[in-house]
Order: sequence, then C-alpha cells, then structure tokens
Amino acid sequence: MRRAKTLLVSVLLAVSALGATAQATLAFKGEVWSNSDAFTSRCLGFTDTYPQQLYSLNVAQIAKLGYQPIGGAIGSGFTRTALLNGVFYDYAVYAHTHGDNYWAASGYPNVDSAILQDPGTSSCNNFARDAIRSSAIKSATYGSFYNLVIMSTCELGGGTSTMPGAFQIEKTKSSTNRKFYLGYVNSTYDSGAFRFEQAFWSYLNGAPNHQRTLYQAFTYAAGIGGYPAPDASNPFVANWWGNPNYNGTPGWS
Amino acid sequence: MSTMSKSKKIRSFLAVGTVVLSLAVSTGQLTAAGLVSGNAPSSGDNSVGLGRSTIETPIYADDAPKVFAHAATVRDGLGFPAGANRSGKHVKDALQKSEYDEVDELDNAGRQISIAQFDTAGDLVAAVRLDIPSGFMVKATGDGASKAAERALAKVSLAAVGQAQVEDDPVAGGWNVHWDRVQDGFAVRGDETRVRVWQDGRIQSVAHVEHKLASAPVTQLTRDAGQRAVSGQLDKWFAGRGFGYAIQGMNLEWVGPNTAFDPAKVGATGEPYRLAWVANVQPSGSISDVVRLITLYVDAGDGTVIGGDVVE
Repeated sequence: MRRAKTLLVSVLLAVSALGATAQATLAFKGEVWSNSDAFTSRCLGFTDTYPQQLYSLNVAQIAKLGYQPIGGAIGSGFTRTALLNGVFYDYAVYAHTHGDNYWAASGYPNVDSAILQDPGTSSCNNFARDAIRSSAIKSATYGSFYNLVIMSTCELGGGTSTMPGAFQIEKTKSSTNRKFYLGYVNSTYDSGAFRFEQAFWSYLNGAPNHQRTLYQAFTYAAGIGGYPAPDASNPFVANWWGNPNYNGTPGWS
Repeated sequence: MSTMSKSKKIRSFLAVGTVVLSLAVSTGQLTAAGLVSGNAPSSGDNSVGLGRSTIETPIYADDAPKVFAHAATVRDGLGFPAGANRSGKHVKDALQKSEYDEVDELDNAGRQISIAQFDTAGDLVAAVRLDIPSGFMVKATGDGASKAAERALAKVSLAAVGQAQVEDDPVAGGWNVHWDRVQDGFAVRGDETRVRVWQDGRIQSVAHVEHKLASAPVTQLTRDAGQRAVSGQLDKWFAGRGFGYAIQGMNLEWVGPNTAFDPAKVGATGEPYRLAWVANVQPSGSISDVVRLITLYVDAGDGTVIGGDVVE
C-alpha cells in the first residue's frame, strides 16, 4: 500500500512538472526578425533608426496577441540559418529588412521572393550571400501551419510575391482558417511602414479580449492616410491575404 | 492525413520530446524555448512600444453631446450604417502618439462597424467603416468615385482644396481619392485629405491629416545651396565606401523633422513642420543591394539636415 501511495505521488509530481513545463513549451511561438546591422553607419555612413523602432514595436505587440515565447532577433542573430532552423516551430513570423520579388533560379518569368538576413557586425549586405528565398523558407516549414506573417519590406505584398506561399497562406481574402499575411506592395518608406504598423497594432490591441479582427486593423491603418510615398509610381499600398474574420490570436486551425 | 495535420503532430511531438529532454536535464536550463529562440537585441533603444500604455477614458453623449452629434453627422454623411449601439472614449494613444475622441458604431454583439475620430479641437481626423462589404452590385468609375468623394467631404464639412488625385486601389478594388495639402505654394509632406471608395461608389473611409507649420524662414536657401548641402552630407556619409549617388529631384516642401538618421532623438515628440529642401537620392554601388532610395530633408533656412527617410 505504501509503495502504491509513493508511486502515485511520484506519478502526480512528474505529471505536474511535465504539465507545467509543457504549458510553457507548447505555447505558440512567434519570431520577430529585424536587419539592423546593414543600416548602421558602418555600412551606410548613417544609422537608419527604423529597424530598431519596428523591432521593438512588433515584439511587444505580437506578444500581446498571445504568442510566446517571442524569439527571433535584431542584428547579427538574424541569420538565414537561425530563421530556417526556427521557422518550423513558429506560428507568427515578422521580418523587417530589404525584400523583393526576384527571378527564381529557373529564371524568368518565375519568381522566388526573398528577404535579406542581417549581415552581421563585420559585413554589409550582399544579395548573393544574404538572400533568404521564399523557396528555402517553404522547405523549412515542412508544410506546417502559420497564423500570422508580416513582411515589413518592400514589394512582398505585391501580386507576384511568393512569400505568402512559403507559409502556406493562399493569396485570397476569403480564407476560413486562422491565417493572415501582411505586406507592402511597392517600394515603401520605412516611415510609412512604421506609421502603418503603429496604427495597425494600436487598433488591433486597443480592445480587451481580442475583439477586433486583423482585417479591421488593416482597414483602419489603411484608412488614416498620411503616408508619404517615394514617387507617383510607388504610392504607399499595404496588402493582406487570409481570413477577414480572424482576430490574430494563436491556434491551430 | 493532410500535410498540415502531419506537421502539427510533428511539431507537437518535437515539443513534447523537448519537454522530456528538458525534464531530464537537472539544471532546467535547456528548454525548448532556449533551443529555438533567437538572440536578444544587440543594441539600441527598446522603449518604443514597450511599457507605454494607451489611456482610454469613456465619454458619453450626455457629457460630450457635440462629439456624439458630430459623429452622427459624419456617419450619415458618409453613408455608414447606424449601429445598434454607440460608445465613445477619449484616447491618449501611446503607439500613434496622438490624442483624440472616438465614437464607435456597434452591432448587436458589440463589434465595431465604424469609428469616427476627432482631434482635441473637435475636427474630424478619420472615419472608417470596418464591416466587410458583400458582393458589389454596381461598379463605379474613377470619375464617379471622385465625385462621390467630393460629395462625402462636403457632407462632413471638409474642404477639398485643389485637384483631386484618383488612384486605383489594388487591394480593395476601389479607388483612393486624395487632395494633398499645399501651403504657401509648397506641398506639406504626408498631409492630405483622403477618401477610400469601394468599387460600388460607397465610402469606406475619410482621413484628414494636417500638421502644424512653423514660420517659413525669412531667407530661403537657393536650390543650388540646398543641393550643395545634400551633396555635402552624402559625401560625408559615403566617404571611402565606394558608393555613388544621383540626386533625382529636389523640391521645397514642408516636412516633419524626424529621427530617421538620429538614434539619440528616437521617441521625441513631433515638432511643427518646417520648410525644407527635400532630395530623393538614388544610391549606387553595394549599398543598392539594401537601400533603394534615401530622402533627405535640408532645412530651407539654415541648411541643416533635419530628417529624411529610407526605402530599404
């Protein structure tokens, strides 16, 4: 009897410990990446302050949706290897860096969008070395499910972007799954991205209990205007794909 | 079994496996989170978006009848649907660094179907319809959208000054109609009145963005002097790096001094807009792998760089 009681207590303690750890470990992970070293005075002659501001904003706000832990990195920790090794575990992914819709290895007219990793503290960006192709990301996801993907770059919200597909997000606006992709269509000023994302998060996380949808947050941010644009052929345009009724909280769909 | 459900199971399996592994490690330091998390920020200020909260105070029609009446006029003028209920609040928005009164139209479930925001002077800042449009029965033209936008502004007592610019909205399929602000003959960067029009001609949103302007400098830098200031700054930044550049255009504009190139000033509150030479600079060389365009603001009075922007 005593052995049975001892065994029962041991099992309960083990289950309790396992449960507590599992609760923390099985949480829905988010990653926020920001290329900052390419935008320092070492590489440019001046320091662009927006990578840091956008990183801080998005770490805080994605966490408010309930994703945890928030991994990723700003600076030298944002490497192709780190992103590709970690992306399988993620449910939310944010990246601020240079991005574009490049020709695929197979050539025109096939597109394989890419973002640039942080070049580290002793180099500056070089496309051949630093590109993280959407095809590489897609392979690293092993087809897994993503709730929220934000590409805070130029061009990756455009019609030719292959980045949504890397995360299994179809380019429709009528998904019924808990998924949402946000990107910018044209060449976009950092200040425009920052203004948009401040408004987006202010709206989305501005009410308790996640009552608001990502579509509403997008619509609000797009509706407030005031976005300077590089030129007439590059007006500020943000775009989204996914589920218009989704509130952004993590979960398997 | 679908690929997704397989991967869900694999992710769960790996996570549980990691839990067991971490339990086996007596120090408890080797956790799944530790294995897959990235680095902490390597440098800089983390204060933006962290630890600063938005403050909201409820307002009611009895206490703020003008705000609610104005909101009703805006709602009806723009053709927004009336909600089952309305709510109001005064907001000090830490993220957007702004302060406004907001009146929301709510459906039966308490969800917002539209909002109207007014600045501290009571002027309309933004009105946005937040419901999802159902199938569009009619298709407006760009000209029709422009006229609908003008009518909407008249109904909410916003002046549409100058020539409207009409652009297709590639996301929603309708149009963006905007009037860019001009003061003393110079554009005010980002200031505008903008109306987003759905495909069928209904109004989705109206925004009015207007910043305070400082006095224009008594003596203005000439274009040549402005260009010399821009070149001087770029030559200093690019010295010894092998970068080239081409100044694509320079215009006098009213701009907001900003922190784009000055980390020490991040988080500072906005100053009045100043008249500046605005130069768009196309960099060349290896810098163009990561920066497409640099925009510099050079104060039209004293020739100092007061901000700018970057297209990555």
